[in-house]
Amino acid sequence: MKSSYNSHVKRIILGLVIFAVVGFIGKEISSPKSFGVYGHYRADAIQEEADRDMRHKTNTPCLPCHTHEAGLHKNGLHKTISCEFCHGPMADHITSGIKTGELPVKKGEEIRVLCLRCHNRAIHARPGDVIKTVVMPDHLRDKKVKETHTCNQCHHVHAPYNYIDQAKQALSIKEAS
Amino acid sequence: MDREKPELNEERRTFIKKVLKGTIAGSLLLVIPLRADDLETSEQIPEHIPEQIPGIRGSEYDMSRHRFVFIVDITRCIGCGSCCVADKREYNVPDGNYRTWVERYIKDIDENIYVDCPNGGLDGYQKPREDIDRPVRDTFFVPKLCNMCEDPSCVQVCPVGATFRSPDGFVLIDSERCIGCAYCIQACPYSVRFLNPVTHTAEKCSWCYHRVRRGLLPVCVHVCPAKARKFGDLNDKESEVYKILSGPGVITVLKRDMGNSPSLYYKGARREVI
Amino acid sequence: MNAAHENAITILTNYVFPNDLHVHWSMMIALYPYITGIVAGAFIVSSLYHVFGVKSLKPISRFSLLFALAFLTCATLPLLFHLGRPERNFNIMLTPNPSSAMAGFGYIYMLYGVVLLLEVLFIYRPTLVYLRKKSQGLMEMIYRALTFDSTNLSPESLELDRKIISFLAAIGIPMACVLHGYVGFIFGGIKANPTWATPLMPVIFLLSACVSGVAGIILVYILIKTFTNKPADTDCVRTCTNYLAGFFILDFVFEMLEVLSHSYLRTAHYHAVDELLNGPLYNSFWIGQVGILSVIPLILLGWLCLTRVNDTLFKIGASLVSFMLLLQVVFMRWNVVIGGQLISKSARGFTVFHPEWFDKEGILTAIVLMCAPLVVLFVISRIFPFWMEEMDEG
Ligand code: SF4
Ligand code: SF4
Repeated sequence: MKSSYNSHVKRIILGLVIFAVVGFIGKEISSPKSFGVYGHYRADAIQEEADRDMRHKTNTPCLPCHTHEAGLHKNGLHKTISCEFCHGPMADHITSGIKTGELPVKKGEEIRVLCLRCHNRAIHARPGDVIKTVVMPDHLRDKKVKETHTCNQCHHVHAPYNYIDQAKQALSIKEAS
Repeated sequence: MDREKPELNEERRTFIKKVLKGTIAGSLLLVIPLRADDLETSEQIPEHIPEQIPGIRGSEYDMSRHRFVFIVDITRCIGCGSCCVADKREYNVPDGNYRTWVERYIKDIDENIYVDCPNGGLDGYQKPREDIDRPVRDTFFVPKLCNMCEDPSCVQVCPVGATFRSPDGFVLIDSERCIGCAYCIQACPYSVRFLNPVTHTAEKCSWCYHRVRRGLLPVCVHVCPAKARKFGDLNDKESEVYKILSGPGVITVLKRDMGNSPSLYYKGARREVI
Repeated sequence: MNAAHENAITILTNYVFPNDLHVHWSMMIALYPYITGIVAGAFIVSSLYHVFGVKSLKPISRFSLLFALAFLTCATLPLLFHLGRPERNFNIMLTPNPSSAMAGFGYIYMLYGVVLLLEVLFIYRPTLVYLRKKSQGLMEMIYRALTFDSTNLSPESLELDRKIISFLAAIGIPMACVLHGYVGFIFGGIKANPTWATPLMPVIFLLSACVSGVAGIILVYILIKTFTNKPADTDCVRTCTNYLAGFFILDFVFEMLEVLSHSYLRTAHYHAVDELLNGPLYNSFWIGQVGILSVIPLILLGWLCLTRVNDTLFKIGASLVSFMLLLQVVFMRWNVVIGGQLISKSARGFTVFHPEWFDKEGILTAIVLMCAPLVVLFVISRIFPFWMEEMDEG
């Protein structure tokens, strides 16, 4: 084939134009649909994020089954505590009305660690009007119990003063002032 | 701060027995038969969960009508780390990455500041710091999370538009489009972002957008026993956040000079808080 | 009280934000500006001949273009290794975010690639036409494609080529500067990082790009010539070394200016930057980048350029300086990219970075990626002859 003086240039330009057009069409086709509705992003992503599954479902769904704990919890000082913080998220327990897993119940030493997360006075910065704190093991000594006692031997975990008040009543101990 | 009223019913006898036996661990052994209708109410149907943020459920959600803010009250935080635990569980955050964390600040009498945050506060703070030899003047906890900047650097730099600010003011990540370049992680002045080692896309605190849209509080706010975290709609004049922000308290934002205009406010934050 | 408070800021308690412990931009991101830098630098060398008419650079004018091309083909590899989701890399072309400094990369890179490739093809057209006639089979097909199936070498046609070459070379210079200055801006545009956020960043990157490009060309040119037992053109090497000296002096001045202005302005971030450079980066910055790899080459360059050094010694000296400066730029990229990330945004401490050998972004990958352009260069040399002399002999 005889080529004219500028045939290569023409072919290059043609090639570049085809490349640009194909590229542009490809870009239009493969850009996501809802892109740019509100801004430079995929608008559907908002709804997708809103539809994410909740794993924590507040205390409400716990109470109908666990009525005993519910009764204690809602009247006790620990009523602001979330069930799911100590026991784990609802989603690991019930899915679509079916029990799918056991949630852990803390025992023994775990209880002490759990309680002291909040109630340890050795960690300063725990304002008295927010939370009641104790120093361990001084608190056990003060109360004249064994130093091996775990917190829940005196304080019900769901209602910390429940037993103490009951005991005082039962034994007719008058509150000092 | 009222104590629960002692109920002297038949439980009392069992109680005394247990006290006499020296154990009360048995109190959890009460077996309660599960009923089918109870199970249904415990399922995830948000309508069964009482609304926590008024004005979201019911009518069509209008993104332009809300202006959400988050307030952290440093004077109330007790550093228990409930928020961190809940957050990790809500999103199955892989170990070593943190959508939210709680820092401990310690100030000694020479005004030196020591900050630490073991495991992001997930284990709480069980022990006082032992490596400080000067007398300590002050200790406080500072929870951190996404600032939901009005002028977010992360959105500015994301090359593909995978991180964006929605019309209702949430900075969110489109994990379908994120290429995992980590540019946003470099750009965020607050270091709240990380690359999820499982999905290899960027991730950060979303102020629990999925809960807010269901009329519920972000999970960290919900579990905070000390009410140190507060969340609400500034356009709702009845909301606690509106009252706090329009009240006289000392309110700051972090790194104001970055110019990001955060929607996360700190109540009682001292100047050392970065 | 005031003194005490001052003290409070300077004491770094090594508190690092929990998400800052991990260095997200590791060796791949240090390598990427290194490779694009070499591209930009090598292109500028060829432009010195093609646009500015520096005649003594003629022997390497073609070679430096191919050198740039070889590195350009590999410039995206480190990025792909770095991305969390490399299969989505085209998103950056599909929905580039206009406000992002990084978003332009895809288009700038592509345009620059086209310009560079076209320039090579036009410059080589007479050669390729000639080679096409001489070869057969697969090579014939390749040359036919590369000449766009045109064999017209009439004076008219060559005159058209000449105009196009000047045009491409002319727009190539600003594009090379954009390509690399822009890489600097990717870092310079991050206000959250006090070591990066300086308007000097693009300038420093551009100048160090020129340094690494020129140094790379000098070194590889001398090496190839030595191994093929051909004499390297002394005049050309001397000119290159002069340019290298010029670029490097500017580069070094700006690098120092940045540190100087940090320490003079003493802004709130100064303490963090100061402790970074004198702490974790002390060895790689002051001793490596500045002491050994900048001051010594400066002295050597002064000796080479200002005194009469005989040819053999000059070539040895030039190779040595080039090698040191190539390393200097590696150190500089490392100190900026990785060093910059060691400062936690808490401004209270530093994290540490441990390069892994077999990581996806590890040392081994880095070595392989640094060798890749040289392999590409070898492949290219089978198609495009580097040196004019070879043509003349043919
Ligand atoms: S805090 Fe960081 S991640 Fe959150 S909006 Fe601001 S810049 Fe983005
Ligand atoms: S990591 Fe994802 S969200 Fe972040 S800048 Fe890159 S693409 Fe955008």
